[in-house]
Parts: sequence; C-alpha cells; structure tokens
Amino acid sequence: MKAVESNFLFFLIRRVVNAFITLILLILIVFVLIHVILPTPQAMAKVYIGGAHYTTAALNAVIARYGLDQPLYVQFMSYVYNALTGNFGMDSLYRVPEMQLLDKFIPITLEFVLIATVLQVFLGVLTGGLAAMWRGGVPDWVIKALYLVAWAAPVFLLATLMQFVFAYDLKVLPALNLANPTLTPPKAITGYPLIDAALSGDWPYFDSVLKHMVLPVFSIAIAGFGLTTRMMRSSSVEVFDKDYVKLAYMKGMSNRRVLFGTVFRNAMIPIITLTAIQFGFAVAGAVVIEDVFLYKGMGFFLYQSVTNLDYVAILSTTIIIGISVIVANFVADLLYAVVDPRVRLE
Amino acid sequence: MNILKKALGFRDDVDAVRSAKGENLSTWYYLLHKKQAVVGIAIIAMFLVWSTVEGIMQLLGGYARDPSLGWLLLPHNPISSPSLTTSLLPPSLRYPMGTNFEGQDIFSRLLYAAPKDAFAAFVVVLSAVALGSILGIVAGYYGGWMDEILMRITDAFLAFPGLVLAIALSVLIGPGFSSVLIALTVIWWPVYARLFRGQTLTLKYRGFVEISRLFGVSEAKVLFRHIFMNALDPVIAYMALDFGTVILTYSTLAFLGIGIQPPYPEWGSMASNGLSFFPSAWWYTFFPSLTILLVVIGFILFGDSFQDVISGRVID
Repeated sequence: MKAVESNFLFFLIRRVVNAFITLILLILIVFVLIHVILPTPQAMAKVYIGGAHYTTAALNAVIARYGLDQPLYVQFMSYVYNALTGNFGMDSLYRVPEMQLLDKFIPITLEFVLIATVLQVFLGVLTGGLAAMWRGGVPDWVIKALYLVAWAAPVFLLATLMQFVFAYDLKVLPALNLANPTLTPPKAITGYPLIDAALSGDWPYFDSVLKHMVLPVFSIAIAGFGLTTRMMRSSSVEVFDKDYVKLAYMKGMSNRRVLFGTVFRNAMIPIITLTAIQFGFAVAGAVVIEDVFLYKGMGFFLYQSVTNLDYVAILSTTIIIGISVIVANFVADLLYAVVDPRVRLE
Repeated sequence: MNILKKALGFRDDVDAVRSAKGENLSTWYYLLHKKQAVVGIAIIAMFLVWSTVEGIMQLLGGYARDPSLGWLLLPHNPISSPSLTTSLLPPSLRYPMGTNFEGQDIFSRLLYAAPKDAFAAFVVVLSAVALGSILGIVAGYYGGWMDEILMRITDAFLAFPGLVLAIALSVLIGPGFSSVLIALTVIWWPVYARLFRGQTLTLKYRGFVEISRLFGVSEAKVLFRHIFMNALDPVIAYMALDFGTVILTYSTLAFLGIGIQPPYPEWGSMASNGLSFFPSAWWYTFFPSLTILLVVIGFILFGDSFQDVISGRVID
C-alpha cells in the first residue's frame, strides 16, 4: 500500500513538473512569435502605443519604460513572470490593463464551454454505447451517419442552422446575446453569470442566462461529440471481447447488468483523457460560436481584437486559452491515474 | 495524443494484424469493396480533378495576363463587377445556386474557389508531415534528452487550440493566403511528430532495422527507407482525415475574415457573407456551406475506411 502511495506522489510530481515546463514553453512560443514578427524595440513600441501617430520621444519613452531594449533573455524572464502573475500589460485599444478585460470575458466563456463539454461527453457516451450494443445493426449506422455529418459540418453552419430553426423560426429560444439586455445584470461576485445570478437570488436573470446559453452550448456539443462516440464505441467493443465480460455472462448476470456494470464502466476510462482534448477543441470552437450568437465572452473578444488588430489582446487571449488547456490536460491525467492505477507505473 | 489516436481508431500493430489474418491483398482492393470508401473516393476525385483543371486554367490566365481564362469553363464570371439587376436572385436554370448580393453567380464562385482549398489542404498537410516526420523520427530514434526536448515542444504546441493559434499567427504574420498556410502548418505538425515518434518507437527494434544497422547501412538511409517508409501507412489514414479538417479550418478562418483577398471568392467567407441575408436569401449561405460539408465528408469517409482496412477491420 505504501509503495502505491509513493508511486502516486511520484506520478503527481512528474505531472506537475511536466505541466509547468509545457506552460513555460507555451509562453516561450508566444514570446518568440512576437519577436520574430516585431524584431526591433521600435517596432514593439509602436504596437504598445497602438495608434498610427507617435513621436520618436514617445517611442523612446515606451522602450525605456517597458525595457524593450534589454537583452532577450531578460525580457523573456520578465515576460514569464508577468504572464504568470496575470500582468499582460495595457490594452492598446481600450487603454485599461489587459487582465481587467480578460477577467470579465474568461468566466463567461469557461462557463458555457464547460457545460458544453459535459453535454458533449454525455451525448458521445450515450451514442457510442448504443452503437456498440447494436454494432453492425441499424442504430450503429444511423449513429455513424449522424456524427459523420456533425463532424464534417462547419461549426458556423451548425450554429446558424440552430439559430434559424430554434430562434427565428420556432421562436422558442433567444438568438443573440448573453442575457436579456433589458434586465440589469447582478453584481459581479465570481464573474460567472449563472453563479452570480444564483448567489444574488436574481432568478429572472438566471433564467435568461440559462435560455441564452442553450443554443451556443448545443452547437459546440453537436459539433464535437463524434470523437467521443467513436472512442466509446471502439472501447466498448474492445471490452466486450474481454474475458471478464464473458465471465460475467457465465455467472448468469443479466444483460443489462453486464452492460452497465462492467462493459460501459470499463469502456469509459479512456473518455476522461479524450474529454480534456475535447475541451480544447470546444474553447477554440467558442470563437466562432460566440461570433454567431454575439455571446460576449473570450472568443468574441478575440474575434474583435483580430478585426481591430489589437496584438496585446490577441496574444494574451492565446496564452490564457493555452493555459486552460494545459490545466484541463493535467486534471484529466490525474483523474485517469485515480481511476486506472496502472497508468501511474508507466 | 495516444488517446486521440485511439479515438480515431489507430493501431500501431498494423502489420501484425494483417499477417495474422493471412491477408495479402492490397489496401485498395478492400477499399474499393467498401461502399463508404467508394462514395468518399468519388467525392474526393471530383473535387481534385476539378481543382486541378480549374487551377491550371487560373495559372494560365495569370501567365497570359488574361484572368478571364480562369472562368472560361464556368457558366458566369465569378468576380464580375457588382450588378443590382442580378442581386440576390434565387436558384434558377440560369443561376443554379442563385446569386449573391453583388449579383455574381454563386455556382461559378464556388467552382472558382475550389483549387484554393485543394491547394491549402495539400500544402498544409504535406508540410506538416515533412516537419512532423523529421522531428518525430529523430525524437523516437535517438531518444534521451533529444526526445524529451522535442516532445515537450510538441506538447506545448498541442496545448494551443489550433484555431486560436492560427488566428493569432495569421494576424501577426499579416494578411494574405500564404500567412494562413504558414499558420496552419505551424499548428498542424505536432500531431504528425507524435504519430511518427510512436511509429518509430515500435519500428526501431524490429529485425530489419537492426540488421541494416549491423550491415553498416548509413543512418540516413535507415531512417528514411526503413523507418519513414514503414511508418507511413497509419499516417496516410490520418492524412486523409486531415485534408478534410484543413479545409474545414481554412474555411472557418475565412468565415472569421482571416486570409481572404476580395474580390476572389472563398468558401468560408461566402458562407459568412451570406449569413447577413439569411434566411430570406438562404441560398447565399446554404450552398457554400453545403459544398464544404460534402468535400469534408468525402475525406472523412475515405480516411475512416482506410483506417478500418489497414487496422484489419475489413468486415463490411
């Protein structure tokens, strides 16, 4: 028992170190990108100033202030330090610290992307399990056709179709925005609209946020559930052939108990890691989804920054999204190790 | 990464599975006996043949300084100057997919834009394979600290959601088609580095590799002939899927307005422009989106069956 525990500790430390190295490398990539594209301190300073009009004195002041003429490794160290402490500098467009903007947008995106990821996993496990149960049969083919189309469809097509059908034609769900704009949002406590509304007991607002979330959440979930379905189907099929499943049948267990108690439980283990990858895809998909539904989160902000050529905002958003994916992968690794002890010994 | 591979249905022990079943028929034999694969191949063939023909016409037009050669085969001029009289006409015999706001024929514009998507898919996937194979094989073959460093870098790139990094890159590099190609290649190689590394790890202790080394075959030759060529099979299946994904990502970028050069048409940006006229002029966004969907499905159907065949699951 003791050995197992120390193994787990070792595994944990190694994963933390790995995640940290990946994080530093990610920041390094962004840093290199900036310096390849803006090789001179002057070019950098122009981006910091933002506008097209500047004087040489102003340029030099910016260079001195941000230490842009220092050796690259010094600049990199301070860049890492600043990025890790959440200091991404001033936004050249809004003239406020970048973090202040991101603070507002991150929770909005995180909230609906997390819900979408959960829904996606649910859809994937359900359809994958059904397809495996009836493999080779009609349900298997129908499910395959469904997810292949959903997979190949551009995200914007899915989102627009859903918007058209459910919002404009059937008029059952709102088409645009985070919440009904005539309602006053509750005081920001956590930044997450749903939690804030619940905490301040503002149920009409809660209801509105929830309704506005349905279409974006389903768009992301439908666009991405195919991968989970495939995984679930193939790993269920694999488990079906295992001796312990045959044993379960031989012991006279009912079909349903074997399926839910043995097959699906074991088949779901690899889904954990896949979910982390799916989360990354979902965050990226959010850029398009938020644009279609005017859902003003991080993706919408990134899209706006692209149109406004707001470099500071683009790079900070990229780093934040990268960090969230690294964290998701780390959590998935840990969960995997908890569920499947063999992984720790790798 | 491994889990992604598994989710997509990959197996590393392809040869073992095949020889155990005593199957020596070629991969294509099985592919042509699968309905799913035939549909996929038909779609891909149509797309590629048309793209080649149209691409050559456009190139000729460029050399002859006569751009109208580019739409010689098309029913209408895809980049004709805006005309109010033909604006937003519904599909008819004259305009099979209707016209857009500028009064241009959507069908002609879709056909005109095809070579660009085909070109983007090929350039991005092939560059990604080139880069990924070199890094992946070196990491897997030499191991040690080289492997550690290369794989950490690969992981860092994999941590970026592709679309987001592509957006950041193409904005930073500057507007234009080539910056989108560079951006897509930068986000595409890590997956191939991982695939090739995994393949190299299983191949490097195989008899034929060790014997070649014993006989003093040069390292470059071992790496290319024995490792690269043998690692290629599962990679091809992944590539087939990836052509579709590149087209999807490329049109998503165009949808967001990145990498487009007006007045030249692009599938994603056509779909995006049409959205403002949806649903009254539904054809404007519907047909471009449908085209993307069809082409991507073609690649997915083919890639999917290819995987089934090479991993020994040929029962249809």
